[in-house]
Order: sequence, then structure tokens, then C-alpha cells
Amino acid sequence: MTDTVLSVTNLSKFFGALKASDNVNIDLHAGEIHALIGPNGAGKSTLIKQIAGGMRPDKGEVILNGQDISALDTAARARLGLARSFQVSSVAAEFTVLQNVVLAVQGHQNLGMWRAALRKTAFSDQALGFIARAGLAGREAIRASDLSHGERRRLELAMALALRPKVFLLDEPMAGVGLEGSADMTALLDDLRHEAPILLVEHDMDAVFSLADRISVLVYGRIIATGAVDDIRNDLEVQRAYLGDDA
Amino acid sequence: MQRETWINLAILLGLILVPLWAVVMDEPFTITLTTKVVILALAGVGLNIALGYGGLVSFGHAAFFGVGGYAMGVLASHAQSYTPMQIGALEVEGTKSMLIIWAVAIVFSGITALFIGALSLRTSGVYFIMITLAFGQMLYYFAISWPAYGGEDGLSIYVRNGFPGLNTLDPIQFYCICFVLLCAALLVSARLSSSSFGLALHGARQNAERLEAVGVRPFKLRLTAFVISGMITGLAGALFADLNRFVSPTMFSWHTSGEIMIFVILGGVGRLFGPVVGAALFILLEHWLGGISDFWQFYLGLILLAVVLFARGGVIGTLAGREVAHD
Amino acid sequence: MTMVLLIEQILNGLQLGVMLFLMSAGLTLVFGVMGLINLAHGSLYMVGAFACAAVATATGSFFLGLLASLAAAAAAGAIVEMTVIRRLYARDHLDQVLATFALILVFSEGTRWMFGSFPLFLDVPDLLSGPISLPGGIQYPLYRLAIIVVGLCVAAGLFWLIAKTRLGIRIRAGESDRDMIAALGVDISRLYTIVFALGAALAGLAGALVGAIQSVQVGMGEPVLILAFVVIVIGGIGSIKGALIGALLVGLTDTLGRALLPTVFGYFMDPINATTVGASLASMLIYILMAGVLLWRPSGLFKVA
Repeated sequence: MTDTVLSVTNLSKFFGALKASDNVNIDLHAGEIHALIGPNGAGKSTLIKQIAGGMRPDKGEVILNGQDISALDTAARARLGLARSFQVSSVAAEFTVLQNVVLAVQGHQNLGMWRAALRKTAFSDQALGFIARAGLAGREAIRASDLSHGERRRLELAMALALRPKVFLLDEPMAGVGLEGSADMTALLDDLRHEAPILLVEHDMDAVFSLADRISVLVYGRIIATGAVDDIRNDLEVQRAYLGDDA
Repeated sequence: MQRETWINLAILLGLILVPLWAVVMDEPFTITLTTKVVILALAGVGLNIALGYGGLVSFGHAAFFGVGGYAMGVLASHAQSYTPMQIGALEVEGTKSMLIIWAVAIVFSGITALFIGALSLRTSGVYFIMITLAFGQMLYYFAISWPAYGGEDGLSIYVRNGFPGLNTLDPIQFYCICFVLLCAALLVSARLSSSSFGLALHGARQNAERLEAVGVRPFKLRLTAFVISGMITGLAGALFADLNRFVSPTMFSWHTSGEIMIFVILGGVGRLFGPVVGAALFILLEHWLGGISDFWQFYLGLILLAVVLFARGGVIGTLAGREVAHD
Repeated sequence: MTMVLLIEQILNGLQLGVMLFLMSAGLTLVFGVMGLINLAHGSLYMVGAFACAAVATATGSFFLGLLASLAAAAAAGAIVEMTVIRRLYARDHLDQVLATFALILVFSEGTRWMFGSFPLFLDVPDLLSGPISLPGGIQYPLYRLAIIVVGLCVAAGLFWLIAKTRLGIRIRAGESDRDMIAALGVDISRLYTIVFALGAALAGLAGALVGAIQSVQVGMGEPVLILAFVVIVIGGIGSIKGALIGALLVGLTDTLGRALLPTVFGYFMDPINATTVGASLASMLIYILMAGVLLWRPSGLFKVA
């Protein structure tokens, strides 16, 4: 397909006898939200890690906009626009919101040693824009460690935006944001898809069904089904996988 | 202005007023003691860049302190004996010029830091602590077993090295040199901390995984910080050797590494003026306890224990409270 | 160098190695189980040596001295663990380093206070004095051979303790999962005190054994401590097996390096330079070994998962 932004082909990762990823194929088209669902321990986070570069697969390729990035490390993939959020929010806790986002804005370039980072208006202005877009306007000067769960999620998204992403890899952005927060977060994610397509790992099924264009189901490291939302909702095998695990 | 800024200004004022008072009262010993504080603070300012900003717990900064010291010792000893050094086929004259000695000390401690850092930074956590410690000891044993420059006995330099336009043997003039260098290092440290590089370095300390996720590799940042840190500590080593007009392998010993670390922690890890307060407090304690008991280190140990267990954040942390946003 | 001299040096290397193992075992156990880096481990070595020297002088019995060294070091370890160390488990390594550095000052100056600055002398017991003839006509000091044997026996005992006893099971559980042993209903703070005292006793024993061939003095533990660090970094922090292999590797490398390098350099340098360069290089050899191992394996030879 011509509008495929990210594609993962034949990805496998074994830990001894455990197949964390078993010949996984998944792709992401421009403008879409592709949700990755599956029971706990199915290997969703392991898959995200391998796509982001934090873990090396035993075999298989990750291709971003036609370029094979399988051999690159996390930092190099981030520079190419692979922006991720973590399952457990991961920000620089002692920094303020603004410092965190400036960190992402400046990236690996222009790491000058003399001029104060936050006095570079180009950096600060851009950062403030991303902060506002992520819904954190007015919270710039708050320390990350003092933010609520939901705000920290938003901060991660602001940092992801600052990378000028080609693809978002979001690992459970709804986790811990609460009932009220999840409606806001859904709206935010819906807005972000115009920036870049999203590969979304999420347990909140309401959010998944309302946001996703396509859904893939991962069970025991294998993709057992990929398809449009309604197809997946009605798929018997999927229901069995869930029921079998949760019962 | 923030509280910490006021504290810092007060410390600077103290470092100007105390020697001034000593000159008026004709107390050269006080000037020498303050000079020692300033030089050791400079060593601490160096370590603070690696330890405080980068989170790199180096237990081997004596290596750079010693390299700086020996840069002075070797150059000055050749100058005072009028014998050139033989480096391969090359003959190099020694020198008694502080400016050249500083440059050599900074360059060589930087190269040493590059080697030690490039190897040690492959590891992290407790491995990093132990490996930097071991590299420091390696240079210590090398200095002891290499007889050309005094071996275990060290090297004495009879006349302090010269600085254009100043009489370096006059305590207050030598103090001024050291004080200006300390201020310069503090300026470098402050700018570095708030720069883009510093922001990324602080970020790497707090969350290296996050830093990689925004496209920055921590290794190069840390190595750069480690080298700058080693250079400043190396400069302090050259000054320290000049203060004592003596260098010995003790400058390389792990006690020296431990003491430089104590300055930083006592004053407040990652605080700009932490090492200055720490060094001043340490020297005062040494002086005061040393007057009370022959076993002053026993009490020093107890005080340090109390500080670690009960006064976290060091002196500046206790006075200024939780760190507020970096500029 | 003759074959006889070479074998003698290998035995010396083994002796240094088993002694280093006694030191490293405690260090690596404490790190593996409690996650604590303890610089004051060398002080416990010193405590053992002083206790042995004092009791041996007072009673005339070296073996009572050895018992005293075990008891004194274990007691000192237990007391320090209960008063200071247990406050440090949850702290970062920086605090641990500083606090245990402070403990060294307290121990060293305290010992100087009690025993003075002059070294004490501890004689090799009559039973073990003099040389012994080994096959091949090698004369080797019996006492040094005894150290090797005792060290290997203690090593075997330690492996047995960790593999087969209930305490060992708890120690292994503590290494792999700290929450699990709490869930098993083990009194963790008692387990930690025991592990720390056990490590201290081993260090004290090493100090006492070595005290009879070197002088017993303040600061004697520090060079050994640094060597022990090199050992556990090479072996992999937390691994007893790594500590044993690392200790023997370091002991042999250091001893053989000092004995052989000056001769080796003599083949292609003039004798005076060869001695200087050889001796200097030999003194750095184990650190070069460590750097080499780390380039190859950044977490040591036997990484604990």
C-alpha cells in the first residue's frame, strides 16, 4: 500500500521457550489510529519496545517510510520521528513541564554549552505551543513530579509532539487518567492523528472502539486478527481469547 | 531573587572578606587556609559537574587531581634542575610559568578523563563507582612505582611558580589567582548547567530512557561532562601542588577522591556553590577538630555519618530548601 | 626463571587469591542481597587482624586469636549493620559510599586510639612455621600453604551453605527477589544482619590469617578492599562463583605479573629500564585486566540476573 507509514514484518522475539513476539506483522497507514489490544502478558509492551528500538528482535524488520530502521538504536529512531509514550509515564521528574518539553524540542541538535536553554526563545516558544496543544497551558512552571497522573500523560504527549513525529507509539495513554480524564484524552488523541498516525496500545475498550480505525489482536505473542472495528468486535476467536484469559 | 542566590552571594563575599581581614590583621596562615579552601572547592566544582549534574558517581577524581599536580611537579622539577625532558627524540624544557603549567594540567587531565570515562561509562551504577575507584588506584600505584619523579616520596619544588606581573610568593597575591580561577570555574559550571547541553545532561541523570526517546544518546553527553569535570579538577590539582610546593602519590589516593566527593555532598550535590561550602566546612572542621584531638578524623567520621543519615541535601539543600527550577 | 620459582609464585598467587575471595565473598553477598556498597568492609578485615593479634599476644594461642577474629569481626559487623547500615539500604549508592567512607574514618581512628599507631606483630604459630617440602623438591612455607587450604575449605563451606541450607535458600531468594522473601514470612532485618555479620566474619578471618605474614596496622584493610572491588567487578557483582574465579584471577595475575614482567622486559630492554617498566606495569596489571574484562563484558564474568 502506498500510504503505509510504518510496517513491521515477521518480527519474532523469544525468551527461552516463551514466545514474546511470534512472527508479528502489523502496519500503520497515514492518518489512522491502529489499536493493538490483547490480554495482559500478550506481549504488547514488548512489541512496542522492539519497534521503538529499546529491545532487539531475534528476527524481522521495522520499516519507517520505506526505510529499514531495524538496525538503529532508540535515539536514532526518535530522530527519524518515531515518538513514543511509556506504559508507566516516563519524564524527567525534577524538571518543570517547560524544561521537559524544551528537552524534546532541542533534541540532539544545538546542544550548546553556553547560552541558557530556556532563554532561547525559539525553543521556549515552540515548547509552549506543544504544551498548549497537549492541554497543559498554564502548567509550564510546575515540576513534573507534582503533576497528576493524567497531566503526566499529557506531558508525555507534548514531548512526543515536540519530536515532529512521523509516527506515535502510545503505550496505554489512558491508564490512570480517571473517568473524566479519559474523555479529554480521547479528544486529544483524536486531534493528534492529524499530526501523525498512532499505534495505540490500550486496555480501555470504549476508547479503542471510539478512536480506532483498525484493531489488531495480540495473544501469546501472535497477531490472531487484524481488521476494522466492527469485524473485530464480532470476531469469535477474539472473544474466546479474552474470555479464556479473563475468566 | 531566589534564596539560593543570596546564599551564594554571601559565600562569595565571605571569600573576599576573610582574606582581606587576614591581610589587615597580618594573619598569613588564615590566608593560606582560605587558599586551600578555594583550591579544594575548585576540585569539587569539577566533580560536581559529573556527579551533581550528570549523576556520575566518580570515586576516582583523584586521578585528575593527581595528573594536574604531577603536571606542575614534572614541569617545575625539570625547570629547577635545568634538565630538559626526553620524550622520544624530542627535548622539552621544563617551565616555571603557571599559565603553561595550567594549560598542560588541563590538557592532560582531560585526556586522562577521556580514557577513563570512555571505558567506565560503558557501565553504570555501582560498577561505575568501583571502576573509577580502581582507575584512580591504578594511577596511584603507577606514581608510587615510577622512580623518575620521586616515586613514593614525591617531588619538592623549591620556589612557587610565576605569574606575569604578580609575586606569587605573597600569600594574598597567590590567593587572588586561585579565587579568580574558582570564580571562572563557577561561571563555567553555572552556564553549563543552564545551557541546552546542561538541560540534556540533567535529563540524562533523571531519566536516561526518556532522553533516548527524544533522540539524544546519553553516552556522549556524559563523556563530555566527565572530561570537562576532570579538566577543572586537574587545574585544581596543579594549584594545590603549587600551594604546597610539593607533589606526591597521595594526591592520587582514594582518600583524595573520597574527600573531593565529601566536599560536594557536604555542601549539596548539584548545587552550584555546594562544593565551595563543603570544602570550607571540611577545612574548618579539620582545623578545629585537629586542635581538639589527635584523633580528629574519628569525630569527622561521626559528623559525616550524621550528615548523610539526617541532613540530606547538604548544607545548601538544608538552607535553601528543595531545588527550584533551573534557569 | 626456574620451574621451582614459577610454581612457588603460582602458589603465592593462589594464596593471595583465596585471601581475596574471603574478602570479596562478604562484599558481593552484601551487595547481592541488600544492594549495598560497603567501603567499610576493609575495616572489618582490620578488626579481625587486631582482635587476633591482641588475643594471641594475651593468651599465647594463635588459634584462640583466630576464633577471636571471627567473633570480633562478626560482632562489629552486626553492630554496625543494626546501627548504621540498615538505614542505608533504601538510599542511593552515593549516600552509601559516603556513609561507609565515614565508617572507615571512625574505625581507623578508633583503632589507632585503642592500639596506637605502631604496627602489632602476630607470629605464625609454631605448628605451622617453617617450610614444607613439596613434590619436585620445592620448599614452600607451611603457613602459606595452610592459608590456601583454609581458604579453599571456607569457600567450599560457603558454597555448601548457600546451596544446601535454609539460610542459603533465603539468601538466594533475597538476591533474586526481595519482595518474595518478605512474602515467605522471613524476618528480613534479621536475615540482613546475619548476612552482614557472616561477610564481616569472613573478612575478619582473612585479616587474621594475613596478619601473621604482614604487619597488623591501621589502614591495612584499604589496599585489600580495593583489590576486592576489582575482584567482584571482574566476577560480576553479587555472584559468589564470580568472586571465587575473579579472586583467583586477580591473585595470580598480580603475583605472576610482579614476578615475571621485569624478567620478560629484560629480554628486549636494558636491565635497569626493564625493572622499572616491568614493576610499574605489574602494579597496574590487574586494573588493565579489569578494563579488558569490562570491555568484553560490562557486567563482569558471571552476571547475576
